[in-house]
Amino acid sequence: MKTAVYGIGNILMGDDGIGPAVVRYLESCLTVDDDLTIEDLGTPSLDLPNYLAGYDRVIFVDAVAAPAPPGSVCLFTREEIIAVSPGIRVSPHEPSINDALIVMDFAGNAPAEVTLVGVVPETLDGGLELSDAVSRAIPAAAEAVMGELAKRGPERVALY
Amino acid sequence: MTRVVIDPITRIEGHLRIDVEVDQGHVQKAWASSTMFRGIEKILVGRDPREAWLFTQRFCGVCTTVHALASVRAVEDSLDLEIPLNAQYIRNLILIAHALHDHIVHFYHLSALDWVDVTQVLKADPKKASSVAESLSDWTGNSAKQMAAVKNRVKGLVDSGQLGPFAHGYWGHPAMKLSPEVNLIAVSHYLQALEYQRYSNQVVAMLGGKTPHIQNVAVGGVSNAINIDSSATLNVDKLVQMKVLLAKVIDFVQNVYVPDVCTVAGFYPEWFGYGKGVTNYLSVPDLPLDGKSTKFDLPGGFIPSGDLAKMIPITGQKDERWRKAVTEDSAHSWYKGGGPLHPWKGETDPNLTDWKEDGKYSWVKAPRYDGQPAQVGPLANVLVGYASGNPLMVKWTDAALAKISTIANVKATPAMLHSTLGRHGARAVRTAVLGDLAMKHLALLTDNILKGDTTIYNKPEFPKGEIQGVGFHEAPRGTLSHWVVIDNGVIKNYQAVVPTTWNASPRDTGGAIGPYESALLGTPIADQQHPLEVLRTVHSFDPCMACAVHMFDPSGNNVARVKVL
Repeated sequence: MKTAVYGIGNILMGDDGIGPAVVRYLESCLTVDDDLTIEDLGTPSLDLPNYLAGYDRVIFVDAVAAPAPPGSVCLFTREEIIAVSPGIRVSPHEPSINDALIVMDFAGNAPAEVTLVGVVPETLDGGLELSDAVSRAIPAAAEAVMGELAKRGPERVALY
Repeated sequence: MTRVVIDPITRIEGHLRIDVEVDQGHVQKAWASSTMFRGIEKILVGRDPREAWLFTQRFCGVCTTVHALASVRAVEDSLDLEIPLNAQYIRNLILIAHALHDHIVHFYHLSALDWVDVTQVLKADPKKASSVAESLSDWTGNSAKQMAAVKNRVKGLVDSGQLGPFAHGYWGHPAMKLSPEVNLIAVSHYLQALEYQRYSNQVVAMLGGKTPHIQNVAVGGVSNAINIDSSATLNVDKLVQMKVLLAKVIDFVQNVYVPDVCTVAGFYPEWFGYGKGVTNYLSVPDLPLDGKSTKFDLPGGFIPSGDLAKMIPITGQKDERWRKAVTEDSAHSWYKGGGPLHPWKGETDPNLTDWKEDGKYSWVKAPRYDGQPAQVGPLANVLVGYASGNPLMVKWTDAALAKISTIANVKATPAMLHSTLGRHGARAVRTAVLGDLAMKHLALLTDNILKGDTTIYNKPEFPKGEIQGVGFHEAPRGTLSHWVVIDNGVIKNYQAVVPTTWNASPRDTGGAIGPYESALLGTPIADQQHPLEVLRTVHSFDPCMACAVHMFDPSGNNVARVKVL
């Protein structure tokens, strides 16, 4: 099963960089094979379908606006992501994970299994640093990704 | 008199907000504002200029390559550093492949739904749609069977009670005019565009190492090892693979994208009469052909007041007039200071107030060229190319105008391009031109490598003291420039004047309005609760406002809010 783990977010905008930070952490402790891709995608927005096509399973790590304290890790299912209605598009940045999945469902080539590992940010002000609360959440978010990976084919994934 | 505010709350930090005053069904006044503070250039101060591009390519998640290349060009300009021919061609191919992809996506996935009514597809006759499409081009993807399959797909979506990606379109709006068959053709090509733009992205990945963040750029050249006999480097096999991918994209551009834009234009000829706006046009030369960047395949220039005969050429990054002409004014922007500053002296110190229509109302500064607002983008690029007599620009512009004339049964002229539809037409023309140039630059690179040249990099040396540079790029959304001041090898100031800053510019000290604000004047509004016409004109510029924050909001707060006051 072809699987991708994608970090989403802008590393220049404070805690929005949590997705890429978790990807860097995972890259240091995961063995990658032909069936597993791990990538920091930044903020690809409308280009996101290009990175989803051909995968059976995708795990996103992104900042989420959830009613929980900064640094909280929340998991969202494919159904929960799709349930967010797409907005009117003004710029190529607005379409996000849900838009990409909805477009690909229409085109008939969307990944079947999708999970979003969300981390609640504290600040999105410009800067390369994560806040302490969000920085401390990196291992828990990585653990959540590992948990998702282990649900199918744990033998291909090794922590060391 | 009513006030309509379109404020898409798609991310918690906000985006582009448009305020229009409507009287007797037409826009009388308009304000464009960005509701998000960027100021990310400050992150670059104190850093090594050789690594600036790694940060600037994060300015914008969609235009990563664009900001990487403008950055290395700025640092090279400050050093008068020549780069090897291979590096120039490889960079050019990345820029072209990115633009081909970006323009296709803009039309089909960002703006076509302003003109296409998906619900009308259910009334279409697939056979008739197929014969209409086949009368417009030789594309092989237009069979009645394929059209019927797409119609079924749309029917499935409608029957499910969801409209999927089309859920928030203005369906059944009185301003929608395409026939059911043309709507079906458009949706069919929307799906095919998803596939074809991807081939272009693959070319960027092959040359850039990966996408969206390319790895192969360096101040002084590129880091692509070249060895025609090694499978691990750039070799003949890879050059052939890229040629195959680009040929597919070019086929789609010439036989689907260009005819589709001309067809939409043919159904909405009145939109050649709306959206004119600021007719000072600015475009910089690009696709350099020599290591010193003195000769270019795309000409640059400034056209004052829409008069092509008065075009003033921009000869390159060293052009004295260009280097002096660009300023940014923040009289109506949420920054300290006000008067125009040259980007090398630029400041980014925030000063947020309430939104005041006669005071400060946007995070976007007001860039000016020779003190005047200017429109940037594919239309500026095409008009400058046309005015310069650039053979490819003239060829594709004339071909598009001829096609529109046939479909609309009107005489389409270059003067009609100063409009909302003109911007779409010019983008299609530019894409076709870039398709021809993709093959040219791939051939230049291949020939140079086969001659035995494998040079890719000249080492930069930073002098003591202060130096300044500018790197420009004619990006998919228009003129982009990065301005850098380096002191003893360390960045002292960095300013990026991005295309959308030119177009979304607020008023300046003298009160002159920006291109969006100006283009909206006189736009008819059929239904104030559903201001589709405003979106048509704003989308035609291809806005790229908030290049910085992206966040999933499970509360679903991402529907554009339209308020009628």
